[in-house]
Amino acid sequence: MPKFTLNDQVIEAEDGQTIIQAAQDAGIDIPHYCYHPDLPIDGNCRMCLVEVEKMPKLTPSCTAIATEGMVVRSDSERVKEAVRGVLEFLLINHPVDCPVCDQAGECRLQDYYMVYGLHTSEIPLGMKVRKRKVIDLGPMVVLDQERCVLCSRCIRFFDYVTETGEMQFFGRGDHVAIGTFEDKPLDNPYSGNVVDICPVGALTSRDFRFKCRVWFLHSTDSVCAGCSTGCNVRVDHRDGTVFRLLPRRNTAVNESWLCDEGRLSFHELQTGERVVRPMIKGRDGIHAPVTWKDAVRSIDSRLKEVRDTNGSSSILGFGSPSATNESLFLLKRYLGGQLGASQFEFRADSEDKNVLEEEDQILRHFDKHPNSMGAIKLGLTSAELGGIEGAIKAARAGSIKAGVVIYLDPLVRRPGDDEAEGRILELIDSLEYSVLLAAHKAEWHASASVVLPVAAWLEEDGTYTNFQGRVQLAGKAIEAGGDALPAWEVFAMLLHASGAQSPWMSARDVFATMAESDTVYRGLTIEQTRLPGVVLR
Amino acid sequence: MIEFSAEAKRRFERILSHYPEKRAALIPVLALAQREFGGWISQEVAEYVGELMGYPPSDVLSVATFYTLLRRRPVGKYHLEICRNVSCWLMGANACMDEAKKLLGVEAEEITSDGKFSWNFTECLASCGTGPAMQVGNRYFEDLTPARMGEIIESLRND
Amino acid sequence: MTKILLANADKPGQNTIAKYRERGGYKALEKALGMEPSAIIDEVKASGLRGRGGAGFPTGMKWSFVPRNTGKPTYLLCNADESEPGTFKDRLLLEREPHLLIEGMAIAAYALGCHLSYIYMRGEFEFLERPIETALEEAYKAGLLGPSVLKRDFSLDIHLHMGAGAYICGEETSLIESLEGYRGYPRIKPPFPATHGFLASPTVVNNVETLAALPWIISNGAQAYAAIGTEKSKGTKLFSVSGHVKKPGVYEVDLGYPLLDFINNEAGGIPNGRKLKAVIPGGSSVPVLRAEECEGVLLDYESLLKAGSMLGSGGMIVLDDSVKMPEVLSVIADFYAHESCGQCTPCREGTGWAGKVLRNLVAGKGTKADVDRLLKIADMMEGKTICPLADADVMPIRSFVTKFRSEFEALCAI
Repeated sequence: MPKFTLNDQVIEAEDGQTIIQAAQDAGIDIPHYCYHPDLPIDGNCRMCLVEVEKMPKLTPSCTAIATEGMVVRSDSERVKEAVRGVLEFLLINHPVDCPVCDQAGECRLQDYYMVYGLHTSEIPLGMKVRKRKVIDLGPMVVLDQERCVLCSRCIRFFDYVTETGEMQFFGRGDHVAIGTFEDKPLDNPYSGNVVDICPVGALTSRDFRFKCRVWFLHSTDSVCAGCSTGCNVRVDHRDGTVFRLLPRRNTAVNESWLCDEGRLSFHELQTGERVVRPMIKGRDGIHAPVTWKDAVRSIDSRLKEVRDTNGSSSILGFGSPSATNESLFLLKRYLGGQLGASQFEFRADSEDKNVLEEEDQILRHFDKHPNSMGAIKLGLTSAELGGIEGAIKAARAGSIKAGVVIYLDPLVRRPGDDEAEGRILELIDSLEYSVLLAAHKAEWHASASVVLPVAAWLEEDGTYTNFQGRVQLAGKAIEAGGDALPAWEVFAMLLHASGAQSPWMSARDVFATMAESDTVYRGLTIEQTRLPGVVLR
Repeated sequence: MIEFSAEAKRRFERILSHYPEKRAALIPVLALAQREFGGWISQEVAEYVGELMGYPPSDVLSVATFYTLLRRRPVGKYHLEICRNVSCWLMGANACMDEAKKLLGVEAEEITSDGKFSWNFTECLASCGTGPAMQVGNRYFEDLTPARMGEIIESLRND
Repeated sequence: MTKILLANADKPGQNTIAKYRERGGYKALEKALGMEPSAIIDEVKASGLRGRGGAGFPTGMKWSFVPRNTGKPTYLLCNADESEPGTFKDRLLLEREPHLLIEGMAIAAYALGCHLSYIYMRGEFEFLERPIETALEEAYKAGLLGPSVLKRDFSLDIHLHMGAGAYICGEETSLIESLEGYRGYPRIKPPFPATHGFLASPTVVNNVETLAALPWIISNGAQAYAAIGTEKSKGTKLFSVSGHVKKPGVYEVDLGYPLLDFINNEAGGIPNGRKLKAVIPGGSSVPVLRAEECEGVLLDYESLLKAGSMLGSGGMIVLDDSVKMPEVLSVIADFYAHESCGQCTPCREGTGWAGKVLRNLVAGKGTKADVDRLLKIADMMEGKTICPLADADVMPIRSFVTKFRSEFEALCAI
């Protein structure tokens, strides 16, 4: 653990760390383009040059290993002049695209220019090297060769992370351009990542293109709900609309990467009609909207009737592997705690098997739900029922009369989703009395006795437990709309209606209760669920 | 679909045998492919070499575009590469280039209509003491003058 | 002058193995195989032989950096990528004395413990491909290469590897990268080729001329070699001289010989009654010297450095007083812009920009600010790149502009 000084500050580095890495860990940013903590080192941009005592030339801090007693300066005039020089070199052939470039506002040329540059351009526009612009590289990426600073991050990503080698340098000298073979579109489930890592506007997102200037966006930390990997994301949104997802770096889960499907999964969220009001099916078989108060009172009294008539074992709680831990916890507390129900399930599609099965070597898992592991850990599996098939059978046989079902549409679709949804419908049809908590409207909702509008992903705070058993906090970014509430709040109201304690004002409060109760979450704090999350024993 | 001839395949195997790792053979194989397939590396040639050696075509093309002698565009049967560097320039290379342009009637990198000639500038050929100089395939022509250019072009034309 | 390299290179047709052996060829290899490898390295150190490609690094010291017993093979790569403008000496050796090179390589390989070696020859020397392969075949046939060199317990394979046209591949890490089958991007050092070179194994890259000097050194001894030349620049050097001289060509000269004597005697002096204006002594990458600055300068590493230039590759270009220096610099700058590999920012952008500014100036469209701009670009590029190609552009730009500034300013209307 060598100790070295950077700008008179003593920093302790890990063995083998480069100066730039150690500086970054200590919160000091040395300007750079080609360096990336999750890619092999290249050392070509020459932006990270620092002064190292006793070395005659300036040293790239991304290649120099920090050693004991090293004295480094990144703030001297000599370094600033060198950095300014590199910046000027990068800008001489850079097109003046800022007004039409999506990168504006988060562009490293702009940002470093304001700190190190502030010089006047000394090259006439006609002298700039021209390259090709607006090259379609498929559904995720648009390439502008002129804007490229040739840092090679995208090349290294495809060479070393996906090992597919689509992007390469072509040519030599200042005519070198990046591209794909014959402009072939990127057919790679991780292609969107190169947009994130491109420090300039050479690779931009086709999905986000021209949609919103980044300085209008608000960011919320969350977790992707596309599969059981639970990649950490940053949700960029404005006035209730999500515009894009970016990865948050979590070296234990997803490093700096997201898969394309997960990255675009918010579109699924914002598609289709929503359930807006609680609705109860009348004697005429038609759903009529009611207030939450009425709905909750009706549900509680009806469930108590079923319990009193048929016994508590006739009540089923069917959670969703896309619901938060807080929602599932209170589902159990209400049905189990208040009504004595003992039959809980969540499996509509072998989620317990798929949760650990890798779909590829990089990020994705086969289970396209964020919280199957959370459902398992909270005990929503019944050895007796064995999944939804067993529940349907039991309902048909009459041993289960009533059920509370949470169903949230998957955000990353696969063949088989329709069948799974069909099974949920079958279950509801087989129940005498069914309460369905849903977010997006579907025709088959008509079969349920009660339909309650709940928040979907990004519309509520809550935790998910990923395939590693890691509990991670997903933040709320937008409002659910209509009368929709987080599912945990619905159960809190039901608990209150049934006469139990219901003190929770937020998902955080529910988590605190989970942490006090006899669950796998015992002893945890909500702070631990922030990056990098906490792994359950 | 293009493919190496039997002779080229033999050469290919021989090239591979010179190196402890296959990758090191890539550039000589590209040179072989260029000779075999019409004097330049087309997308098709890059794909073929990629398939032959097990590399993505983007990778192969990326390597090819770095090197001056691996051509990305077709050239004439005789491609005149005239040195434009210091010593040759001092001795009158520009006049030789102008003469080539005049006699052949094409700009640099363009091919004459009969497909026989093209020309371009090139960098130092290590003929500085005998310049101006040019390379045409595996031949050097040195001590050039505009008149000599004419003679050489004529003799190549009649070849 | 001592003839070590060019003793038999003045006539063509002397390059067969039979003719080579007739005049004592491969005897040095025989002697070397009877020595300890460490003894050979000591001998080369004691001779004071320095890298003849341009860097001038002491050869024996370079060899001594190679670790033994790493479990990895050691590679010897002969740098025959001669592309430095003004330089054509390696070509002569390759054409006239291929066996001298092969023998030198065999001696070096034995000293280094190398069993697989390559001659990386620039692709433009296509006309030498067959002749070099023939020479290698002759050597194999005569048992001088192969599983048992001169019937000893030492195996050596030498292969010819043709480059594909890139000046940068003369830089040793770029050469290695190119030999490995990639774009010729120079590598970050450390690690150095001595420990991590070709295929991550210990590697030595030596110039043709350096290797060709080894047989004489082994045959005649380090002392004999060190007796030639000056205190720090031992032995002989091949100078390729071209430009405005009566007798351009390759000459072998004892290091320490006066520069102006060389121009006036060996090179025959300036033709057409003109006067010497400037000399680029060691290839376009070294600073230019004004005629006045040549007084008393000797052709060795130290003297040229002291005079403000460098010995470099020994590719001397002589300029008479008819020459317009900005035009010459523009030709040089275009070269570096064309040959920059493009990997790192300062060289990629700086060489291109400097080339454009100079073309503008020469066309009469520049301003005095452009002249300062050239110096600024040079300062911005210098010392900040992965390899010295940018510095090789800086040297001519800075020296031409500072020493002939009035010519540059004369091109500017404002």
